[in-house]
Amino acid sequence: MELSHAIELRNSLRKNRVIMAYNGTVSDELMLTLADMLKTRLLAHDDSKRSKLIFSVFMEGVQNLIWHGKENDDDHGMILITEVGNEITILCGNRILKSETHDLKERLDRIAGADKETIRQMYRDGMAESGEHEGPGAGLGLLEIARRSTHPINYTFDDVDDRSVDFILSATI
Amino acid sequence: MNLHIAATDRTPEISLTYQPLKLLIQGESFPEDVSAFYGQVINAINSLQTQAKGELQVEMAMIYINSSSIKAMYRIFEGLDAYRKAGNQVEVVWKAEEDDDIMQELGEDFKDRFQELIFSIIQHG
Repeated sequence: MELSHAIELRNSLRKNRVIMAYNGTVSDELMLTLADMLKTRLLAHDDSKRSKLIFSVFMEGVQNLIWHGKENDDDHGMILITEVGNEITILCGNRILKSETHDLKERLDRIAGADKETIRQMYRDGMAESGEHEGPGAGLGLLEIARRSTHPINYTFDDVDDRSVDFILSATI
Repeated sequence: MNLHIAATDRTPEISLTYQPLKLLIQGESFPEDVSAFYGQVINAINSLQTQAKGELQVEMAMIYINSSSIKAMYRIFEGLDAYRKAGNQVEVVWKAEEDDDIMQELGEDFKDRFQELIFSIIQHG
Protein backbone atom coordinates (compact mmCIF):
# COMPACT_ATOMS: atom_id res chain seq x y z
CA MET A 1 0.00 0.00 0.00
CA GLU A 2 1.17 3.48 -0.86
CA LEU A 3 1.78 5.52 2.25
CA SER A 4 -0.52 8.21 0.91
CA HIS A 5 -3.29 5.60 0.84
CA ALA A 6 -2.48 4.58 4.37
CA ILE A 7 -2.91 8.22 5.39
CA GLU A 8 -6.26 8.41 3.60
CA LEU A 9 -7.38 5.22 5.28
CA ARG A 10 -6.22 6.48 8.68
CA ASN A 11 -8.01 9.78 8.16
CA SER A 12 -11.16 7.99 7.19
CA LEU A 13 -11.00 5.77 10.30
CA ARG A 14 -10.46 8.87 12.44
CA LYS A 15 -13.21 10.86 10.78
CA ASN A 16 -15.70 8.05 11.36
CA ARG A 17 -14.47 7.49 14.93
CA VAL A 18 -13.61 3.85 14.27
CA ILE A 19 -12.25 2.13 17.37
CA MET A 20 -11.96 -1.37 15.88
CA ALA A 21 -11.70 -2.47 12.26
CA TYR A 22 -11.22 -5.90 10.73
CA ASN A 23 -11.45 -7.17 7.18
CA GLY A 24 -11.01 -10.80 6.08
CA THR A 25 -11.95 -14.28 7.22
CA VAL A 26 -13.79 -14.27 10.52
CA SER A 27 -12.84 -17.28 12.62
CA ASP A 28 -13.81 -18.47 16.04
CA GLU A 29 -10.30 -17.65 17.29
CA LEU A 30 -10.53 -14.12 15.95
CA MET A 31 -13.83 -13.67 17.76
CA LEU A 32 -12.28 -14.70 21.08
CA THR A 33 -9.36 -12.30 20.58
CA LEU A 34 -11.55 -9.36 19.61
CA ALA A 35 -14.03 -10.16 22.38
CA ASP A 36 -11.22 -9.94 24.93
CA MET A 37 -10.04 -6.63 23.54
CA LEU A 38 -13.56 -5.25 23.51
CA LYS A 39 -14.25 -6.44 27.06
CA THR A 40 -11.13 -4.70 28.35
CA ARG A 41 -12.10 -1.48 26.61
CA LEU A 42 -15.72 -1.62 27.77
CA LEU A 43 -14.74 -2.21 31.37
CA ALA A 44 -12.56 0.89 31.23
CA HIS A 45 -15.17 3.16 29.59
CA ASP A 46 -18.70 1.95 30.28
CA ASP A 47 -20.84 0.81 33.17
CA SER A 48 -21.51 -2.90 33.38
CA LYS A 49 -25.14 -2.72 32.20
CA ARG A 50 -24.15 -1.00 28.98
CA SER A 51 -21.06 -3.16 28.55
CA LYS A 52 -23.24 -6.27 28.57
CA LEU A 53 -25.52 -4.89 25.85
CA ILE A 54 -22.56 -3.96 23.65
CA PHE A 55 -20.84 -7.30 24.24
CA SER A 56 -23.98 -9.25 23.43
CA VAL A 57 -24.56 -7.39 20.12
CA PHE A 58 -20.91 -7.83 19.17
CA MET A 59 -20.92 -11.56 19.88
CA GLU A 60 -24.13 -12.27 17.97
CA GLY A 61 -22.97 -10.20 15.00
CA VAL A 62 -19.60 -11.91 14.82
CA GLN A 63 -20.99 -15.41 15.37
CA ASN A 64 -23.29 -14.79 12.44
CA LEU A 65 -20.25 -13.97 10.29
CA ILE A 66 -18.41 -17.10 11.44
CA TRP A 67 -21.31 -19.36 10.64
CA HIS A 68 -21.96 -17.89 7.20
CA GLY A 69 -18.24 -17.69 6.45
CA LYS A 70 -17.82 -21.40 7.18
CA GLU A 71 -20.84 -22.40 5.14
CA ASN A 72 -19.93 -20.35 2.10
CA ASP A 73 -16.14 -20.24 2.36
CA ASP A 74 -16.45 -16.46 2.65
CA ASP A 75 -13.32 -14.44 3.33
CA HIS A 76 -15.09 -11.10 2.90
CA GLY A 77 -15.96 -10.62 6.53
CA MET A 78 -15.89 -7.15 8.00
CA ILE A 79 -16.17 -5.93 11.56
CA LEU A 80 -16.25 -2.23 12.40
CA ILE A 81 -16.93 -0.57 15.71
CA THR A 82 -17.38 3.17 15.93
CA GLU A 83 -17.84 5.41 18.92
CA VAL A 84 -19.57 8.73 18.33
CA GLY A 85 -20.39 10.68 21.46
CA ASN A 86 -21.71 8.08 23.86
CA GLU A 87 -23.02 5.78 21.15
CA ILE A 88 -21.27 2.63 20.04
CA THR A 89 -22.14 1.24 16.61
CA ILE A 90 -21.24 -2.29 15.61
CA LEU A 91 -21.17 -3.05 11.89
CA CYS A 92 -20.80 -6.59 10.61
CA GLY A 93 -20.46 -7.39 6.92
CA ASN A 94 -20.18 -10.48 4.78
CA ARG A 95 -20.70 -11.62 1.21
CA ILE A 96 -23.87 -13.51 0.50
CA LEU A 97 -25.68 -14.88 -2.53
CA LYS A 98 -28.12 -12.57 -4.28
CA SER A 99 -30.69 -15.32 -4.04
CA GLU A 100 -30.57 -15.10 -0.25
CA THR A 101 -31.25 -11.38 -0.07
CA HIS A 102 -35.00 -11.49 -0.57
CA ASP A 103 -35.80 -13.54 2.54
CA LEU A 104 -33.19 -11.79 4.60
CA LYS A 105 -34.46 -8.35 3.61
CA GLU A 106 -38.00 -9.31 4.52
CA ARG A 107 -36.89 -10.56 7.88
CA LEU A 108 -34.75 -7.51 8.59
CA ASP A 109 -37.56 -5.12 7.64
CA ARG A 110 -39.94 -6.94 9.93
CA ILE A 111 -37.47 -6.66 12.81
CA ALA A 112 -36.42 -3.07 12.06
CA GLY A 113 -40.05 -1.95 11.96
CA ALA A 114 -41.09 -3.67 15.17
CA ASP A 115 -41.27 -2.06 18.60
CA LYS A 116 -39.39 -3.54 21.57
CA GLU A 117 -42.37 -5.47 22.86
CA THR A 118 -43.01 -7.08 19.45
CA ILE A 119 -39.33 -7.95 19.12
CA ARG A 120 -39.48 -9.61 22.51
CA GLN A 121 -42.50 -11.65 21.43
CA MET A 122 -40.75 -12.67 18.20
CA TYR A 123 -37.76 -13.64 20.30
CA ARG A 124 -39.83 -15.79 22.64
CA ASP A 125 -41.39 -17.55 19.64
CA GLY A 126 -37.94 -17.96 18.07
CA MET A 127 -36.43 -19.69 21.11
CA ALA A 128 -38.37 -22.85 20.30
CA GLU A 129 -37.58 -22.94 16.59
CA SER A 130 -34.74 -25.04 15.29
CA GLY A 131 -34.17 -24.21 11.65
CA GLU A 132 -30.65 -25.58 11.28
CA HIS A 133 -30.28 -24.09 7.81
CA GLU A 134 -30.36 -20.62 9.30
CA GLY A 135 -27.37 -21.37 11.47
CA PRO A 136 -27.01 -22.64 15.01
CA GLY A 137 -28.86 -19.61 16.35
CA ALA A 138 -31.56 -20.11 13.71
CA GLY A 139 -32.56 -16.50 13.38
CA LEU A 140 -32.51 -15.71 17.08
CA GLY A 141 -29.24 -13.81 16.65
CA LEU A 142 -30.81 -10.99 14.64
CA LEU A 143 -33.54 -10.62 17.23
CA GLU A 144 -30.97 -10.57 20.01
CA ILE A 145 -29.12 -7.76 18.23
CA ALA A 146 -32.34 -5.80 17.66
CA ARG A 147 -33.42 -6.31 21.23
CA ARG A 148 -30.20 -4.97 22.73
CA SER A 149 -29.86 -1.98 20.39
CA THR A 150 -31.08 1.46 21.37
CA HIS A 151 -32.03 2.31 17.75
CA PRO A 152 -33.70 0.14 15.09
CA ILE A 153 -31.17 -2.02 13.26
CA ASN A 154 -29.92 -0.74 9.92
CA TYR A 155 -28.68 -2.69 6.94
CA THR A 156 -27.55 -2.41 3.35
CA PHE A 157 -26.85 -4.69 0.39
CA ASP A 158 -24.00 -3.66 -1.89
CA ASP A 159 -23.94 -5.42 -5.29
CA VAL A 160 -20.69 -7.23 -6.11
CA ASP A 161 -21.58 -9.03 -9.35
CA ASP A 162 -24.49 -11.00 -10.82
CA ARG A 163 -24.25 -13.59 -8.12
CA SER A 164 -23.07 -11.92 -4.94
CA VAL A 165 -23.90 -9.05 -2.64
CA ASP A 166 -22.03 -7.56 0.29
CA PHE A 167 -24.38 -7.40 3.26
CA ILE A 168 -23.78 -5.00 6.15
CA LEU A 169 -25.76 -4.95 9.37
CA SER A 170 -25.44 -2.05 11.75
CA ALA A 171 -26.61 -1.79 15.35
CA THR A 172 -26.19 1.12 17.73
CA ILE A 173 -26.13 0.99 21.52
CA MET B 1 -26.19 -41.40 36.06
CA ASN B 2 -24.60 -38.30 37.53
CA LEU B 3 -23.22 -35.73 35.13
CA HIS B 4 -20.52 -33.24 35.84
CA ILE B 5 -18.93 -30.84 33.38
CA ALA B 6 -16.39 -28.33 34.65
CA ALA B 7 -16.62 -24.72 33.52
CA THR B 8 -14.32 -23.24 30.88
CA ASP B 9 -13.96 -19.65 29.62
CA ARG B 10 -16.78 -20.25 27.18
CA THR B 11 -18.83 -23.11 28.58
CA PRO B 12 -20.74 -23.31 31.86
CA GLU B 13 -20.35 -25.68 34.76
CA ILE B 14 -23.09 -28.27 34.53
CA SER B 15 -23.93 -30.84 37.12
CA LEU B 16 -26.79 -33.26 37.46
CA THR B 17 -26.93 -35.32 40.63
CA TYR B 18 -29.49 -37.90 41.73
CA GLN B 19 -28.87 -37.75 45.48
CA PRO B 20 -30.19 -35.11 45.97
CA LEU B 21 -31.94 -34.66 42.64
CA LYS B 22 -30.51 -31.40 41.35
CA LEU B 23 -29.45 -29.73 38.12
CA LEU B 24 -27.03 -26.83 38.16
CA ILE B 25 -25.95 -24.77 35.16
CA GLN B 26 -23.78 -21.71 35.76
CA GLY B 27 -21.32 -19.53 33.90
CA GLU B 28 -20.68 -18.39 30.35
CA SER B 29 -22.06 -20.17 27.31
CA PHE B 30 -20.73 -19.65 23.81
CA PRO B 31 -19.25 -23.02 22.85
CA GLU B 32 -17.71 -23.44 19.41
CA ASP B 33 -19.98 -26.41 18.77
CA VAL B 34 -23.24 -26.01 20.65
CA SER B 35 -24.79 -29.35 19.72
CA ALA B 36 -21.67 -31.27 20.72
CA PHE B 37 -21.57 -29.51 24.08
CA TYR B 38 -25.25 -29.61 25.00
CA GLY B 39 -26.15 -32.93 23.35
CA GLN B 40 -25.12 -35.05 26.33
CA VAL B 41 -26.85 -32.67 28.75
CA ILE B 42 -30.12 -32.79 26.83
CA ASN B 43 -29.88 -36.59 26.73
CA ALA B 44 -29.28 -36.77 30.47
CA ILE B 45 -32.30 -34.53 31.16
CA ASN B 46 -34.48 -36.54 28.81
CA SER B 47 -33.59 -39.77 30.59
CA LEU B 48 -34.68 -38.35 33.98
CA GLN B 49 -38.22 -39.54 33.31
CA THR B 50 -37.16 -43.17 33.34
CA GLN B 51 -34.30 -42.96 35.81
CA ALA B 52 -35.50 -40.64 38.56
CA LYS B 53 -38.52 -39.79 40.64
CA GLY B 54 -39.53 -36.95 42.93
CA GLU B 55 -38.75 -33.28 43.27
CA LEU B 56 -36.06 -31.87 41.01
CA GLN B 57 -34.25 -28.69 42.02
CA VAL B 58 -32.87 -26.64 39.15
CA GLU B 59 -30.48 -23.74 39.56
CA MET B 60 -29.37 -21.63 36.63
CA ALA B 61 -26.97 -18.71 36.91
CA MET B 62 -25.74 -17.56 33.54
CA ILE B 63 -23.38 -14.67 32.84
CA TYR B 64 -23.35 -14.51 29.05
CA ILE B 65 -25.21 -16.95 26.84
CA ASN B 66 -25.31 -16.81 23.03
CA SER B 67 -28.40 -17.36 20.94
CA SER B 68 -27.51 -20.89 19.86
CA SER B 69 -26.99 -21.90 23.51
CA ILE B 70 -30.38 -20.37 24.32
CA LYS B 71 -31.91 -22.79 21.83
CA ALA B 72 -30.11 -25.68 23.49
CA MET B 73 -31.32 -24.45 26.85
CA TYR B 74 -34.85 -24.40 25.49
CA ARG B 75 -34.44 -28.15 24.80
CA ILE B 76 -33.27 -28.61 28.38
CA PHE B 77 -36.40 -26.83 29.64
CA GLU B 78 -38.52 -29.07 27.42
CA GLY B 79 -36.90 -32.06 29.12
CA LEU B 80 -37.59 -30.54 32.54
CA ASP B 81 -41.19 -29.94 31.57
CA ALA B 82 -41.52 -33.54 30.38
CA TYR B 83 -40.23 -34.68 33.77
CA ARG B 84 -42.89 -32.49 35.41
CA LYS B 85 -45.58 -33.93 33.16
CA ALA B 86 -44.54 -37.41 34.28
CA GLY B 87 -45.83 -36.43 37.72
CA ASN B 88 -42.86 -34.86 39.43
CA GLN B 89 -42.33 -31.44 40.93
CA VAL B 90 -39.73 -29.26 39.22
CA GLU B 91 -38.53 -26.09 40.90
CA VAL B 92 -36.39 -23.70 38.87
CA VAL B 93 -34.37 -20.92 40.43
CA TRP B 94 -32.99 -18.57 37.80
CA LYS B 95 -30.28 -16.30 39.15
CA ALA B 96 -29.29 -13.04 37.47
CA GLU B 97 -26.59 -10.68 38.63
CA GLU B 98 -28.03 -7.53 40.17
CA ASP B 99 -27.37 -5.16 37.25
CA ASP B 100 -27.80 -7.74 34.50
CA ASP B 101 -30.98 -6.84 32.60
CA ILE B 102 -30.20 -9.32 29.83
CA MET B 103 -30.15 -12.37 32.11
CA GLN B 104 -33.12 -11.05 34.10
CA GLU B 105 -35.15 -10.77 30.88
CA LEU B 106 -34.03 -14.14 29.59
CA GLY B 107 -35.23 -15.68 32.85
CA GLU B 108 -38.60 -14.00 32.28
CA ASP B 109 -38.69 -15.33 28.72
CA PHE B 110 -38.13 -18.93 29.83
CA LYS B 111 -40.64 -18.51 32.65
CA ASP B 112 -43.19 -17.27 30.09
CA ARG B 113 -42.59 -20.28 27.84
CA PHE B 114 -42.75 -22.85 30.64
CA GLN B 115 -45.57 -21.58 32.79
CA GLU B 116 -46.26 -24.89 34.48
CA LEU B 117 -42.85 -25.06 36.10
CA ILE B 118 -42.35 -23.53 39.53
CA PHE B 119 -40.05 -20.74 38.43
CA SER B 120 -38.45 -18.00 40.48
CA ILE B 121 -36.07 -15.33 39.28
CA ILE B 122 -33.76 -13.85 41.84
CA GLN B 123 -31.11 -11.18 41.61
CA HIS B 124 -27.85 -11.63 43.38
CA GLY B 125 -25.00 -9.18 43.99
